[in-house]
Amino acid sequence: MSTDDLTAGHLQELRRGTVVLACLIRLRTADYGYALLESLNALGITVDANTLYPLLRRLEKQGLLTSEWNTDEARPRKFYRTSPAGERLAEALTGDWKLIDAALARLTGDDS
Amino acid sequence: MTATLTDRYVWAAARSVPDAQRRDLERELRERIGDETDALLEQGASPDDAERAVLTELGDPVALAAGYVDRPLQLIGPRYYLTWWRLLKLLLVLVVPIAAVGVALGKAISGAPVGDVIGSAVVVSLSVVVHLGFWTTLVFAVLERTPTAEGKRGIDSLWTLDQLPATIEPARTSRLAELIAAVFFLLVFAAFLVWQQFGLPWVPQLEAVPLLDPALWSFWLPYFIGIIGLEILFAVAIFLLGWTWWLAVVNVLLNVAFTVPALWLLVEGRLVNPAALDAMGWPWGDAGPIVVTVTVVTIVGVALADVIDGFVKTWRAGRARRAAA
Repeated sequence: MSTDDLTAGHLQELRRGTVVLACLIRLRTADYGYALLESLNALGITVDANTLYPLLRRLEKQGLLTSEWNTDEARPRKFYRTSPAGERLAEALTGDWKLIDAALARLTGDDS
Repeated sequence: MTATLTDRYVWAAARSVPDAQRRDLERELRERIGDETDALLEQGASPDDAERAVLTELGDPVALAAGYVDRPLQLIGPRYYLTWWRLLKLLLVLVVPIAAVGVALGKAISGAPVGDVIGSAVVVSLSVVVHLGFWTTLVFAVLERTPTAEGKRGIDSLWTLDQLPATIEPARTSRLAELIAAVFFLLVFAAFLVWQQFGLPWVPQLEAVPLLDPALWSFWLPYFIGIIGLEILFAVAIFLLGWTWWLAVVNVLLNVAFTVPALWLLVEGRLVNPAALDAMGWPWGDAGPIVVTVTVVTIVGVALADVIDGFVKTWRAGRARRAAA
């Protein structure tokens, strides 16, 4: 395994949970898969379509997202929205994210 | 009307999921394929190329569908793997020898030739191995696909400290215990060979009659006692050196040197003293062939078990040495 692959693998692991958090926050306003993918990538939260679509289904199954089919246009689209349970999870995850950030900051502070 | 590539892709993906989820999955896939194709069209690709590129990027439709509906793509996953592997090993070690000996015994008692007895035992052993492997694996593959109730574990047991192996490697102390047991058994056996010449006081009919044919003292009984002596030396060698491949081979030779002449003498009717047979009222009705068969199977079984035990211990010792290096 090359160093690049190694780095990519670890980066992917580090980001895995943050994609969930980003989806929960972004879907406070309802949206469909492809638009969500585009907007997340535009914000610099890189996520693969093969990860995102199954993830949305999983979050819906866990009751963290609700969904609704929009058939107004030629192509029916499934719109996802964060549920109250998803909102609570987003708060918990955000809190934890800040704790980790602070802890890492202290860690690097000790080094210098 | 010919189906488009997208139709074929969606159909291939949807048919691999349960009915209840099929319709939803179809719609979601069409949405995703449509949106991704549109994006490529905007970048100037031709409709054909765009569709092909999108579907190629999606990959194997069955794998994609499995990802969508959370279906495992492995036969047995990490949750059940160790339970499956331990159970399978246990079953193989217990059931296969019992089945093989049972079949061999049944065949032998029914008077089948030696080749048939061995052949049947081998065939039955193989089919028992295949059946154990297949059915055990099937049960666990089904378990892997059975959702467990919320907050409950599956049948995978919680690991506890009690499951730790007793010793890290066969230490010298356990080898000493084996040496003492082996030498004790061999000495008792040699003493029995000598003692039976003067009769067996605990068998009323044989109080003054030798059990084994006294004519064997001219060669075979001293030979067997000699082999027992070699076995004692061998046990000491194992204690000092531990099991190695050449000692395992010596173990085979010693077993052959003892078992083959013993069986030959028994089958030829030269092992047991005719006077002792008369005194015991041999043959005991129809039981004669059965008693002989059970004796033969026991002698062969003990020798085989000893040989296999030797090779297993050699293999373990080799593994322990490699691990230590």
